[in-house]
Amino acid sequence: MTDQSASQGQTQVVGAAVRLSGGGPLDGAPEGAPDDVSFVPVGPEREQRRTRRFRSARWVMLGFVAPALVIYLLMVIVPSIQSLQLSFTNWDGISPDYEYVGVRNYEEILTSGRFWNAVKNTLILGLGSAVIINAISLGVALMLDKVGRWQGFFRTAVYLPALVSGFILATVWKYLLNFNFGAVNTFLRDAGFPEWARDWLGDSSIVVGVILFITCFTLGGNTTLIYLANLQSVPQELTEAARIDGANSRQVFRHVTWPMLAGAVTVNMTLAMIAGWTIFDQVMVLTAGGPGFVSETMAFFIYKVGFGEYRAGFGSAAAIVLFLVVIVSTVAANAYMRKREIQA
Amino acid sequence: MHDATTRAGAQRRRSAWLAGAAGVAVAALALTGCTSSGGDGDDAGTAPKTTIRFLYATGDETWNSVVDAVVEAFNEQSETTTVQLDPLPAGSDYATALKTMDATGNWPAVVDMRDTLTYINAGKLAPIPESVTELIEPEAVGSAEDGNVYTVPYSALNGEIGLNIVYNKDYFEENDLEVPETYDDFTDLLADIKANGDEPLATAAAEVWPSDQLWKQLASPYFAEWGDEGGFWTAAQNGDATIEDLREPLQELLDITNEYVLEGWQSTADAQTTTLLVNDMAVMATSSAGIGRLNDINKVDQDFNAGLFIVPGEDGSINVLKNAVNGDTAGGLAISSQAAEDDDQYASATEFLEFFYQVDTANLMEANGWLAPNIVAADEIERNTSIPGAEDYFALLESPNLVWYENVSDLSTFSAFNTFFRQARIEMQDGQSSIDDTIAKVQAEFDKTVAAG
Repeated sequence: MTDQSASQGQTQVVGAAVRLSGGGPLDGAPEGAPDDVSFVPVGPEREQRRTRRFRSARWVMLGFVAPALVIYLLMVIVPSIQSLQLSFTNWDGISPDYEYVGVRNYEEILTSGRFWNAVKNTLILGLGSAVIINAISLGVALMLDKVGRWQGFFRTAVYLPALVSGFILATVWKYLLNFNFGAVNTFLRDAGFPEWARDWLGDSSIVVGVILFITCFTLGGNTTLIYLANLQSVPQELTEAARIDGANSRQVFRHVTWPMLAGAVTVNMTLAMIAGWTIFDQVMVLTAGGPGFVSETMAFFIYKVGFGEYRAGFGSAAAIVLFLVVIVSTVAANAYMRKREIQA
Repeated sequence: MHDATTRAGAQRRRSAWLAGAAGVAVAALALTGCTSSGGDGDDAGTAPKTTIRFLYATGDETWNSVVDAVVEAFNEQSETTTVQLDPLPAGSDYATALKTMDATGNWPAVVDMRDTLTYINAGKLAPIPESVTELIEPEAVGSAEDGNVYTVPYSALNGEIGLNIVYNKDYFEENDLEVPETYDDFTDLLADIKANGDEPLATAAAEVWPSDQLWKQLASPYFAEWGDEGGFWTAAQNGDATIEDLREPLQELLDITNEYVLEGWQSTADAQTTTLLVNDMAVMATSSAGIGRLNDINKVDQDFNAGLFIVPGEDGSINVLKNAVNGDTAGGLAISSQAAEDDDQYASATEFLEFFYQVDTANLMEANGWLAPNIVAADEIERNTSIPGAEDYFALLESPNLVWYENVSDLSTFSAFNTFFRQARIEMQDGQSSIDDTIAKVQAEFDKTVAAG
């Protein structure tokens, strides 16, 4: 069982403490007691020894975590808090000084058509990629689960795109989709379908869809492997019991497999949504937000105004807004999906 | 027993191997750390040279070859300095690169600058010494408000005379077409080419900046009308002009784009227009590289007979923007304040810039297809007229119809507004926005820029 919720509240700490003392897990157990590690008798004296050992072990654990924690605080948390402070200023990102402008940056953002267009594109790419990637990845994982001897080969093939950086893949696609000389249009024209050749990255009516396609192509590998791992941990006895009761394949999937995958769906949807909200590489390489402003996303908008236009204060305010959007949507989605998860 | 002994021996051998490998790795790292990256370069038996970095943008192939040649020549003759090239990859966002350099305290000594006023105000650039500025024609350098010169030109300050229409001369001859003398001639030319069943014009907008190539040629006659008010943008800042005054050139831009521009321009990169031209996919192409574009075409196809012209105004005038030597749009080579804090670095940067403005260096640039900067000894420069079409460029400089105009803005964030304006024009050309909406949107953005100061 890989559902994390099933492991909450278990007594692994008791088991570990017993091992540290050198005692066996069943020492002191009455005769006839079930052969169960959780049944470790813990009288007051043993409880105190365990607490002392845990306190000293905790300091050791903190000692190991501290270096990474300090770096994380300095590199992520502190700059994030500083972004909040800068969002109320007119700092250009270069000058040594700046002025506080109150909520002017936020007012400008929330009344900016360009910003809301970026929000719309982010929603399309974030939600769209999350749903499409998960649907396709689940289908591929179901097929991989049925493959016998060649599963390793196909698993590798599915995962390979995830090993290449989004930037490089987007660059490759940019050449493939070039209107005049790209392989896609050249093939279409040579195959006798010149009317199908499109300006894939310059047609404002389809460019966001093209970016969505390329994003899904890039991000499917990890999602597939997570689903595959979860599929392979679904208890066989449950599926066999369902089949014995007369369930067909679709019913087995719907009533047994799908509920057992709830935890994996939560993880994958959350990761895909976060990746979608913060999509940047593909937009930067493929379209630079164009033509015009049509394919700008929130992350690209923040980069463009904050870095490219010497408006670091304004860009920080946009980043705070993006952070709030990601937090709210992720928490809400998680809360909904968690309800579906099965407790073991 | 035998097995335990064998395993113990294998473990000792493995441990020894691992220790040896670790030792080799540590030694390699130590040697790497000993490599000099920013300090003095050594030649055995000679005084150590100061190494400085020269950051430059690499989007123009002609400029790339000029930089390589000039730096190589400098390094060969300098006894005190070695210049290390620090190229900015093509397509990089310049502002981001400079900000990153600044944030990491990694300024090169000599920088190919953009958005200059912002950096001058932030104290990031050092004054250029007089030993350099006295080599350059006085009109080609401008001082900031504090009286210091912070940037010096890296090419001839011929304004935006490099914004051209490059065309296929052979096609023109075969079809009895002529270089337009008025704007109406230009639109007739476009119609004639289209009537032949050919594509009249290729332009680019994948990177935002090439959208200026056609726009500025169309807008220049209108901008030139505001010369007495300090330029259009100054007049707009003072409330004497508005974006509405640009409606006519915006309409011209939209009409030409819709009727005569090669499909796919929205995702066409600037460099690709050369390919489109030499492959006869378009008869003309927009360019902002002047003679450099002719040089690029000649490198790709030595048999291609290229020429260039500037779209004239309705009255036949050729209106060309003068270079800004001040303000945010002024560019050029600069010395960083960080380098100026080190006497050796500053002296080396000065030595390099002094070399940059010598006659021999100018001749080297011309030989590589680049127009040398306006040095005092300009008469001694051997101009390169061997590139096909170059005679058209030099003829423009001598044209009796040439009208220079100024259009400098002193707004510190004008470059940010300019980027917005370019994107808004592309949006309009692409049909996503009407002219009315575009004018309103751009006016609102300009008003915000003015309010921000």
